[in-house]
Amino acid sequence: MTDTPTIHFKEQALALLPAGANFDACLTCGLCSSGCPASGIENMDPRKFIRMAMLGMDRELSTTPWVWCCTQCKRCQHVCPMSIDISQLVFLARSNWPRELKPAGIVRSCELIQATDSTSAMGLPPEDFVFVVADVLEEVRSSQPAFAHLQAPMDKKGAHFFVNQNSREPMNEPDEMVPLWKIFDLVGADWTYSSKGWAAENFCMFAGDETAWYEVIKKRVAAVEELGCRVWLNTECGHSYYTMWQAISRFGLEVSFELESLISYYARWIREGLLPVNSDWNRDGIKFTVQDPCMIVRKAYGESIAEDMRFVVRTLVGEENFIDMQPNRSANYCCGGGGGFLQAGMTDHRRTYGKRKFDQIAATGAAYVLTPCHNCHSQMEDIGHHYGGSYGVVHFWSLICLSLGILGENERTYLGPDLLALLA
Amino acid sequence: MSATARDHWCDLAVIGSGIAGFAASIFATNRQIATAQVGNTGAIAYTTGYLDLLGSLYADPNPLVNPWQGLAHLRQEEPHHPLSRLPVELIRQAFNEFTTFVTNAGIGYTPPGDENITALTPVGTGKQTLCLPTTMAAGPLALAARRAAVIVDFKGLKGFSGRQVVANLRHCWPELCSARLTFPGMARGEIYPEVMARALEVAGTRRELADQLRQAAAGAGCVGLPAVLGMHHPDRVHQELEELSGLTIFEIPTMPPSVPGIRLREMFEQLFPQRGLTLIPQQKVDRLSFTDDGPLLELADNYGPVTIRAKAVLLATGRFLSGGLVADRNRISESLLQLPVSQPAERAEWYRQQYTDRRGHPIHRAGIEVDDSCRPVDRNGRVVDPRLFAAGVILAHQDWIRGRCGAGIAIATAFRAVAAAEQLLRR
Ligand SMILES: Cc1cc2nc3c(=O)[nH]c(=O)nc-3n(C[C@H](O)[C@H](O)[C@H](O)COP(=O)(O)OP(=O)(O)OC[C@H]3O[C@@H](n4cnc5c(N)ncnc54)[C@H](O)[C@@H]3O)c2cc1C
Ligand code: SF4
Ligand code: SF4
Repeated sequence: MTDTPTIHFKEQALALLPAGANFDACLTCGLCSSGCPASGIENMDPRKFIRMAMLGMDRELSTTPWVWCCTQCKRCQHVCPMSIDISQLVFLARSNWPRELKPAGIVRSCELIQATDSTSAMGLPPEDFVFVVADVLEEVRSSQPAFAHLQAPMDKKGAHFFVNQNSREPMNEPDEMVPLWKIFDLVGADWTYSSKGWAAENFCMFAGDETAWYEVIKKRVAAVEELGCRVWLNTECGHSYYTMWQAISRFGLEVSFELESLISYYARWIREGLLPVNSDWNRDGIKFTVQDPCMIVRKAYGESIAEDMRFVVRTLVGEENFIDMQPNRSANYCCGGGGGFLQAGMTDHRRTYGKRKFDQIAATGAAYVLTPCHNCHSQMEDIGHHYGGSYGVVHFWSLICLSLGILGENERTYLGPDLLALLA
Repeated sequence: MSATARDHWCDLAVIGSGIAGFAASIFATNRQIATAQVGNTGAIAYTTGYLDLLGSLYADPNPLVNPWQGLAHLRQEEPHHPLSRLPVELIRQAFNEFTTFVTNAGIGYTPPGDENITALTPVGTGKQTLCLPTTMAAGPLALAARRAAVIVDFKGLKGFSGRQVVANLRHCWPELCSARLTFPGMARGEIYPEVMARALEVAGTRRELADQLRQAAAGAGCVGLPAVLGMHHPDRVHQELEELSGLTIFEIPTMPPSVPGIRLREMFEQLFPQRGLTLIPQQKVDRLSFTDDGPLLELADNYGPVTIRAKAVLLATGRFLSGGLVADRNRISESLLQLPVSQPAERAEWYRQQYTDRRGHPIHRAGIEVDDSCRPVDRNGRVVDPRLFAAGVILAHQDWIRGRCGAGIAIATAFRAVAAAEQLLRR
């Protein structure tokens, strides 16, 4: 039986943290714990974690399964008067767990990502991806006359945008790729998929496997460079952006392209008039809220992308039909699907964590949550069912195409009866 | 490439997001001054929610009934106190504008009256304050009327005990008793006021709690609760619970971190950007310098460097807890500009022999010196820079804890500083 080595947390913390952010500075004020949805799970919370580190309770911390329940969302750091970042210690602890003891689901996802050139956590090989895309494209061209000309370029050298794709679509619901293709078509984007490094998800960081994380990112970077694209466009997936963006600075990678988020482009295309969406369709005043994924808002772009997202939503559903969750933007709660929680197999804990999100959504009274992140999407659906909520979760691309009147019949998986009725 | 610099321009840059910083932003945006604000978590996240003007004159052990008259005494006893240097009318105006703003923004406050209110502390002692959240207003009334009431606490909630509150008040409030409830959906482990408050934003939680409260009241008609009645719509939550339960309900502040302060902070973070203010939440300014073009603020968030160029800047960075002042072994200094800090000559004089000495400890009166326009001055009394203003408890010659005047100093000096900055900007 493998044993977990013991980390000397206090020592490691000193090496890890930037000047002025040492754990000694902790006031034990408890703001972190009070604002952390993982508090209480496995009898642990962020303040306790720090106190135990200061007291040298390294054995307990090295082995507590709580490190797989902290989603590394960094909300604790956000509210801490001393900017203390517990997620770094959690990453350290995760890395330290022997592979056999780590939650198998996260480890397996990371292995699959490394197994093919696709870097897909579902193990979908390049040729299958190419096939699915071609197949779906063919189907759309023949069944939707308005899109007989639709393109889904593959490995197109010199395209402006290198577009990534969460494996869930080509694997389980391929028709969900189509709305995005239509949007690209409408705005005249010069884009391409790649047969290599196309997948968005990256569980190696969550597995605490730094080497694997680096290898995956290297593959993805090489794929973009090979096609000579100017912009790596991250689609509706949160952690794919963060793992790439962080890795580039963490591992000192030189890249010749920009990293951008699709959300900012939605906003830009609407402002420029290229995406002529409006809320006229929402004649029944269906209410929407929006989930800020930690990975692109609090942990990366901050308020600017949160504003872009709200601009898009307001335009799409109507100012009066948008209700913000509280708290929101950089102060938003993690949904509880992040950090590999959805893959970790700790269902009860994950739902306990998600209760906070459920309450936030329930308090808005909204019929739908929009979110540009697949993990948030799955988790919010799950906790909705679990806690008896009545809301639905939709992608931006669905609603954009709905507003434009171009959402095909097979592209409506996430629409509830009220939205479907509008299309009837 | 993985970090993009962002530059902002404004007329007034406010550094700090405590009561002084937020008050300054209210006053500035009300006066159509283009404002930017940066600040991290500070004392506001721990505050009770009470807005004290002046609760005690340190020469007098009795609670101060009339703070406005108290100001006149203060002026004689402590002429350098920041509140002594401001006209009473200005202080009243500042409180009015502040409480009107927050009330309109959805967190109701009682307007400043002529006398102090004896409000309840988390442990059930009384304290003098000028304004309180409307969710707390029924408490002091029930106390004054000695109305039969039940103080409710919750299983798993640390730092608030109904029995303790009752034990401290029983001698003067005979018909007071306590009850312990299980908060809906939170039967196990430690629970936090912040989490309870957010849960009460959900209608189903309110209904369940109202049922429990009705039973716990056992005919008393009046119930006191820890401050957990909602985070974003406290007045609505409060009113609905009263309607559902048929009881008079009031909140009592809890130990930090406490809901009333988080309410204020999150409300400001929502509202200010809507009013056109550039808000950079939960960040600290790393460097403040004065160029020919004006003050320059430099900081970095997760995404990379941020600069703010302003025409005037207001320093509202608080004391030790918030980081405006820092102390090493021997000296106290101001953290951003190394402004001169008036302080005891030696470390040995920081504290008096007795912790409970009525006169307080000299270290608490350390701070920066300003002129009558709230502009920091150097050791010779010369203005450091005409574009620099300061407000809040970073100012010298006050001991806000002893004087029960924390919010008073913050709101009133912010008002004065913004007025002075406005004059400069309009020139
Ligand atoms: C436990 C507790 C209970 C309290 N109870 C009451 C009460 O009952 N009644 C009452 O009237 N008052 C109370 N107060 C006091 C009140 O909350 C404030 O301390 C007081 O009003 C002073 O406000 P301030 O804005 O001057 O300073 P602070 O509230 O200390 O704010 C300073 C701000 O400056 C920020 N800052 C510091 N350095 C930088 C930098 N480099 N860049 C950007 N930002 C920076 C900090 O992050 C903080 O946001 C209480 C305080 C505490 C701690
Ligand atoms: S919020 Fe920061 S200072 Fe407060 S207990 Fe947590 S880590 Fe310590
Ligand atoms: S990173 Fe998120 S989940 Fe982890 S301790 Fe901090 S707030 Fe909690």
